Amino acid sequence: MSARQPRFTSQVLIDTTPLPDDIPKVQELGASSAPLLSASFFIGARCKAYNDDYMMCKTEANGRGEFECMKEGRKVTRCAASVIRDINEHCLAEFRSHWQCLENHNQQLWNCRPAERQLNKCVFDKLKLEKVIPDTPKGEEPVHLRKRQIFQSS
Amino acid sequence: MGVPFEALIPYGIMLGMFAFSAASVSKLREIQNGGKRARRGIDAWDQQMLERDRRLTGFVRGQTDRPEAPPGFEVNNPWRVEKRFY
Repeated sequence: MSARQPRFTSQVLIDTTPLPDDIPKVQELGASSAPLLSASFFIGARCKAYNDDYMMCKTEANGRGEFECMKEGRKVTRCAASVIRDINEHCLAEFRSHWQCLENHNQQLWNCRPAERQLNKCVFDKLKLEKVIPDTPKGEEPVHLRKRQIFQSS
Repeated sequence: MGVPFEALIPYGIMLGMFAFSAASVSKLREIQNGGKRARRGIDAWDQQMLERDRRLTGFVRGQTDRPEAPPGFEVNNPWRVEKRFY
């Protein structure tokens, strides 16, 4: 990264030079924002170790993480893609109905709880991945399991 | 005391104009959002995710659930550049 971020970004430069061959290739994750948000907690459930590993590597690399943590980064990408692939294979209908609902409701999870419940159930039955919201207060029902919802916009 | 119908014509025209502009704007928003409801309250993260959706699908509101990105996605991330300062 340069010393100074560009401020007057009137133009963009698209550099189509591929990565050099000495860097191993990894297929980038192809899911867009709403499917990623819909699958995010399952990605977290399966890939927590890889993600934590990558973040720890970046913390310990003192600002050179983009270069020195590429190995961990490839693992993160591959793991997330594997979750998306498995959900597509086993729960495609529920997955699609949830992320299309999210996309129609400003990508707010609390607007799509019925679709989310079906997706969570399907993913838990077929893939054994459970949605757990980290760092929620102990002894309280998590927000995605509550029977009664107070706020919802249409 | 009936009101002559000529007195209501201007109101009809005014209402018609409002209705026309409302329908036009909502149609325009629908086209801009690909038939979906518009996003609101966009922050920096949403902005860059919308940009990523555009790079993946060719349309800002386009969505795809493929696990692999299409070829060329890894090199089409633009660098923000500015004119050089001397």
